[in-house]
Amino acid sequence: MDILSRPGRPTLILAIALTLAAIAYISWKVTESPDQALQFTINGLNVGAVYALLALGFTLVYSTVWFFDLYYGAAAAIGAYAVFYLRAGQATDTAYDPANIGLNIALGLVVAGVVAWALHTAFFERLRERYAALLVRAAYLLVAVVAGGYTMILLQYPDNLHQTAAPLIALISAAVIGTVLYWTLSRFAPGSATPSQWVAILSVAAGLVVGAVAAIALAQAPESRLYISWLVSCLLAGVVSLALYRGLYAFILIRARSTLIMLVATLGVLLTITAILVMTFSNTTHPLPASFGNNLLTLGGATFKAFALFAIGCAIVGFILLWLLIHKSPLGKIIRAIGDDEQVARIVGINTTAIVAIVFFIGAMYAAFAGILTGQDIAIQPRMGLELLLKGWIASVVGGIGNLYGAILGGFLLGVVEQFGIWDIPGEWQDGVALVLLILFLSFWPRGIIPRR
Amino acid sequence: MQIRQLEISQNFSRLPQTLLFSLRNHLEIWATVIVILAAATFMLSRGTGFSITLVTVFAIWAMLAVSLNLVLGYTGLLSVGHVGFYGIGAYTAAVLTANPRQELLEGEIIQIFAWPFFAALPVAVLLCGVVALIVGVAFSRFRDDVYVLVSFGFAIIAYNVFVNWQWVTRGPFGIHQIPKPVIFGYTINDDLEFLLLTLAFLAIIVGISWLIVTSSFGRVLKAVREDEDAIEVFGYRSSRYKLAIWVISAMMAGLAGAMLATYTSFVDPNSFILLESILLVAIVILGGLASIWGSLLGALAFVLLEEGVRFVPFLPPEHVGQVRQIILGTLLVLLMLFRPQGVAGRFKL
Repeated sequence: MDILSRPGRPTLILAIALTLAAIAYISWKVTESPDQALQFTINGLNVGAVYALLALGFTLVYSTVWFFDLYYGAAAAIGAYAVFYLRAGQATDTAYDPANIGLNIALGLVVAGVVAWALHTAFFERLRERYAALLVRAAYLLVAVVAGGYTMILLQYPDNLHQTAAPLIALISAAVIGTVLYWTLSRFAPGSATPSQWVAILSVAAGLVVGAVAAIALAQAPESRLYISWLVSCLLAGVVSLALYRGLYAFILIRARSTLIMLVATLGVLLTITAILVMTFSNTTHPLPASFGNNLLTLGGATFKAFALFAIGCAIVGFILLWLLIHKSPLGKIIRAIGDDEQVARIVGINTTAIVAIVFFIGAMYAAFAGILTGQDIAIQPRMGLELLLKGWIASVVGGIGNLYGAILGGFLLGVVEQFGIWDIPGEWQDGVALVLLILFLSFWPRGIIPRR
Repeated sequence: MQIRQLEISQNFSRLPQTLLFSLRNHLEIWATVIVILAAATFMLSRGTGFSITLVTVFAIWAMLAVSLNLVLGYTGLLSVGHVGFYGIGAYTAAVLTANPRQELLEGEIIQIFAWPFFAALPVAVLLCGVVALIVGVAFSRFRDDVYVLVSFGFAIIAYNVFVNWQWVTRGPFGIHQIPKPVIFGYTINDDLEFLLLTLAFLAIIVGISWLIVTSSFGRVLKAVREDEDAIEVFGYRSSRYKLAIWVISAMMAGLAGAMLATYTSFVDPNSFILLESILLVAIVILGGLASIWGSLLGALAFVLLEEGVRFVPFLPPEHVGQVRQIILGTLLVLLMLFRPQGVAGRFKL
């Protein structure tokens, strides 16, 4: 972050005065009407949960590649619109049927390309020593075509999503359970330093069983379609992000002289995707089908939807998962190494392109989930991408960019400040409050609440 | 004789490479020729009235593009907030000059000034300058990505003000009945005369910009763009230079806004959304960074694209804006891939 020198004494005094004024204002408001304050805090935490998720993904991507990826906003919109696309039949305005075969084919091709590339980078070198190169290529092309076709089927028959997505659910839960079991068992296995074959076999078997059970259970529950569509949409947004990184950004990065080039290029991507969304789904606001948690809860004098608790929980779980990934897993070590210095990481033998692609995938999944939460809570609209992008950007700058703790703190802080800021002024000025907070932070604490070490 | 024949045949076989070389190294000339030819064909085929509209719209966009190029191309600050000044200029001119008939105003509280346009114009430009000065004092400390972020912020706050400050701007309804300019008692109602007025203002803006970029002040700006820390070491306060060019550029954008207001005789917040600003950045980068000629070219190409998309067969009219947006977005990506300085540019981002 290139901002001028650290603030001098007058700036510091001004900053402290501003902070004290803000605290005084809030405490005056709280004593004036505690119920209202509680209501605003809960609303703020609800919105802040979305901002925190956005900031987490944003800061993950930014602290790895060190350029601002504006596609990130479009990922949120893509996630929300994919849910709408898959579940339009269940929505309240059933008159609108977005089924679009061209879109399905395009997304199928993107998925096929990404799968082919992933298999190529992961296995090609190893398999070529044993088998003919042509055979290996044919094999992973076949897998890619199957994956692409499967995506098209998923998108084409959204009414049977709980059945068509069952294999996907099985595969994902098998992989997750298997990996977690393998790690924990091999860490706690007595005696040998290297994990035995039995641990591997046991974890694969357990994973497969759990996956099969989950798939069978879901295939008989049509009401789970909405939640499956959340997962599918997140994956889709992630795949598109990965494809963009590998198919486009990687080539621009080779020639780029400054980060502004990447910023402008991703701005072009954001413009294009937003326009495509408008063309496909029209410019109007759509509601997403109702999920659970629409019952109202009361706490003291405050009323809120149960969904707010779910959103806050998601932000906290998202933070814990990302923290585990970055600070406790071998992959996280590699990601941090790339963030520190990509060239050195490449010299010591890390396949940086593949790892950064994974980072883009995860980041876009966070964005997409934040977009879905917004859609479930309020409504969706093609331009929501840019708004959410800005909020995530601001939250991560306020919290301290390149820092997970800062991201979650900044997200919640931004949400609460936005709510308290419009206590005395009309609600339309909410965006203005967020931006004033941003400019204050950039002027007085340019490195955020918790600076990156 | 034989040798000569061989040379000729070699030259012919090299024709593709020669053309490609020429295209890459003289893209500026090729683009100029192509865009002007396209504009000429388009205008000839659509008639005089349309041509005048086209050139007027071009002149307003060109003013904006040239003013943004001072900040983006010459000083290297990627500002997405220019639409804010465009809007402030337009709204100031609109509020000061509008003279709505009585029947439109039932139950509405709106101040009627009904100033002549040429009295409102300096006020609009100066107000832009003052706002730019206030905003710029905070902004000129930033650079690169952070500058983009805060300028995004400025554009959004400006839009919020246009929509929500209803007793001045009438919010989403916009301001109607903005009169045409009057010079010495003569009203410029004719489109052609208005076009000449707009072109005169464009010429003034281009002239001022040219003076700036060829002066020593312009050289400092370019140095700020190339290496801000180095120019600070030489004893220049780079933030002051950034502030100065930001204010000048904002005043030019305000002038363009005032011209827009009197041209369309109607302003509403939808003309000043963030997207317009992003399109403006696309025009400047497309035309060429740090090249005034490039900005004019980019604005012309953009206006042609905007009007040309309307006449694409089989395209539903509600998708025109989106197609334009897709083309510009794709062009931005391709430019960043192959030609980061833009068509006629002299500076790579």
